[in-house]
Amino acid sequence: MSNLKDTIEAGKFAVTGEIGPPKGVDLEKCLADAEHIKGKVVAVNVTDLQAAVMRIGSMAVSAKLIEKGIEPVYQLTCRDRNRLALQSDLLSAWALGIRNVLCLTGDHPSLGDHQSAKPVYDLDSVNLLKVASGLNGGHDMSGHELEGKPDFFLGAVVTPAADPIELQIIKMKKKIDAGAMFFQTQAIYEPAQFEAFMDRIQSFDVPVMAGIVLLKSAGMARFMNENVAGITVPDAMIEEIAGVKKADRKKKAVEIAVRIVDKVKPLCQGVHIMPLGWDELVPEIIEQASLS
Amino acid sequence: MHATIQKPIEDIISFLKPGEKVFVVGCDNCAAKCHSGGIPETERMAERLKKRGVDVVGWSVPGPAGVSLCKLANTKKVFDEQHAAEIEKADSFLVLACGQGLHTVIDATGGGFVHPGCDTIFGGETVSEGVILEYCQLCGECITEFTGGLCPLTLCSKALINGPCGGAKDGKCEVDREQDCGWHLIYERLKAAGKLELMDQYQEPKNFARWSRPRKLNVAPTEATFKSLAGAVTVRNDD
Repeated sequence: MSNLKDTIEAGKFAVTGEIGPPKGVDLEKCLADAEHIKGKVVAVNVTDLQAAVMRIGSMAVSAKLIEKGIEPVYQLTCRDRNRLALQSDLLSAWALGIRNVLCLTGDHPSLGDHQSAKPVYDLDSVNLLKVASGLNGGHDMSGHELEGKPDFFLGAVVTPAADPIELQIIKMKKKIDAGAMFFQTQAIYEPAQFEAFMDRIQSFDVPVMAGIVLLKSAGMARFMNENVAGITVPDAMIEEIAGVKKADRKKKAVEIAVRIVDKVKPLCQGVHIMPLGWDELVPEIIEQASLS
Repeated sequence: MHATIQKPIEDIISFLKPGEKVFVVGCDNCAAKCHSGGIPETERMAERLKKRGVDVVGWSVPGPAGVSLCKLANTKKVFDEQHAAEIEKADSFLVLACGQGLHTVIDATGGGFVHPGCDTIFGGETVSEGVILEYCQLCGECITEFTGGLCPLTLCSKALINGPCGGAKDGKCEVDREQDCGWHLIYERLKAAGKLELMDQYQEPKNFARWSRPRKLNVAPTEATFKSLAGAVTVRNDD
């Protein structure tokens, strides 16, 4: 069973966190990050070779979270696996106790640390959702029957600040039709823009969890504005974080996050907090935003 | 056309053993347009090799003007009628053409040993003098009916078939901010044509069996048969 699914279906506001597996086999720090938020969030996303950098896999780290009594959201990208490997990994994930899967395209290898790798993308994220739904239905993508079928809670992502937004929404609709049962969004810094997005997708009957990325510094904000698609940190917010001493940045990051959560909370079904290593701050955000 | 670019001369020299007698071959169609293996480039390659001490026994860009090296019967005829003596002396052939032309030289010389003088980089459109752009992957299963004639396998760096990833910014691709997002181009084109609903349609995963290698095409004036791992497909053009 998926606690994330149960929470959302019960109409309760869902909160998820996120950890990034390391390059190597030492999981101490990454699992400690997850321990900080254990019991505070309903599930924890485990990223899949985030930024196309080779690391330990999201399936292994998801399984480690299960051992610790933490429910994972297993992120699975189309970048590195063909359709055999994607389906096989999904079956393996189920056998290890993984119940939530976030289906993603994946950053291009040229952005990571193995730039000459062959990009796979045998399936795209819409295909992957459809194939995973098929596995839930008891058959593989060739139509062969499975001996024992999984019952994944399938998620997808959407970028509410993308331009043109219509193109995002067309794809979001395809993801829903292909079997997406919940969405987590790219980082939200402008609640008004998120509200406009939620208005546009009013007819879509699907839970949306707003993405919250802790703003660590003005440098990070400027970097995201220049390089990350669908993220715009407003100038006033950059000045706000730039205006505090380094020692007070964590406090300010929490304050900004809480402010955003307060604004988006009435608009959606949950928040997905991406602390980027500042996991120890997540309980404070949850408490201050009255999410517990 | 098959776009090609010459390999660096140092690489070409490294392929050749001391004393190896080399015959240089170019192509008067695609490689000529790419200035990688037309008549001037092939003649010049012979001179560049000689200057570096290579024993060049002759060179040829099989005519008539504009003909492709990969037309085996023509190439064989030209070799037999015009270059038999030089080819007889040659230990190997340096081919300034695409990979198809390279193999044509093997066939036209009864199994001669070839060196690739070019890298074959893509099938392209000559959009203006000196500019060749890639619009097709030769995948064997065209899906551009749903994308306004723009191939997402080529124009999207991730070859996504159901819409863009989340990485485009200001209409530019996450891989290269100078490069247009292919799905942005498709969206703009369909929207302008009032055909945006084509994007709503779910696209099944590609059948990569039609992109198996090597594939085979048999053609007759009114019938063609394409054979891949997806099976043989025959179509007629006169019904």
